[in-house]
Amino acid sequence: MESKKLASFFEEDLCIFGLRSKKKISVLQEMVRHLASVGRISDERFIMEMLKNRESLGSTGLGMGVAFPHGRSLAIKDLTVLFARSANGVEFESQDGEPTNIFFLILAPSDRGADTYLALLSELIGIIQKPKKLESLLAVKDHASLIKILGGEES
Amino acid sequence: MREEFRLLVALQDLDIMIKEVKDQHTSHELKSMGFKLTGLKELQDARDHLAEKIPAALLNRYDKLAARFTVAILPVTSNKCLGCFVKLPTSFFSSAYSHELLTCESCGRLLYIP
Repeated sequence: MESKKLASFFEEDLCIFGLRSKKKISVLQEMVRHLASVGRISDERFIMEMLKNRESLGSTGLGMGVAFPHGRSLAIKDLTVLFARSANGVEFESQDGEPTNIFFLILAPSDRGADTYLALLSELIGIIQKPKKLESLLAVKDHASLIKILGGEES
Repeated sequence: MREEFRLLVALQDLDIMIKEVKDQHTSHELKSMGFKLTGLKELQDARDHLAEKIPAALLNRYDKLAARFTVAILPVTSNKCLGCFVKLPTSFFSSAYSHELLTCESCGRLLYIP
């Protein structure tokens, strides 16, 4: 996936730069409510139920301050990505036991897009494995900077 | 949305997740990204718990369809079944059926009017 194409998934109204929640379920709820408020999902309950089930399979908090909650649901029409950042971090049962500061919530429709969402996940994980990119993402405070980081303008 | 439709949609989301974990290619891909997929039993328990709340005849219909199609139940959109894209008869949209679970005459999928 080209870096410019990757950046195009991150729309300004799908970013939260000041998450208020401090716990796992409430942070998922805050992100899902945001998606509902901008009309991206038809029913919050389905998405929440699906995300909670996904977390019971194994935490999507991969460590290094980053989590990738993801899944497929009938309540989502098109592949949607929400970026969220918490300055103080959230207890998200991450693999390294450390608080999670940034979240990439990736939702795909039930009937299509499975390959695209896996490719997107893979691309984003590749990005956070680059120390400079990760450092920039952990500190990002606005949409323009986020796009710059994801668009490949920072090494 | 009627409770039984809601339960079926939630069950379908869960089934899709379970299928992904059981699919060797997808689970290998997710594991290679660093995700730990250790809670399959928890997912199956959640599935059983949810299925218990659905009337047996309806669950049986859903299970048969889910074995054939990735998506067995879906909302009617733009007067079409989005499973097979066949335009639905106007009788579907009469108020008498608006709260019923409907069947696509072409593919057999379960449909509801959102």
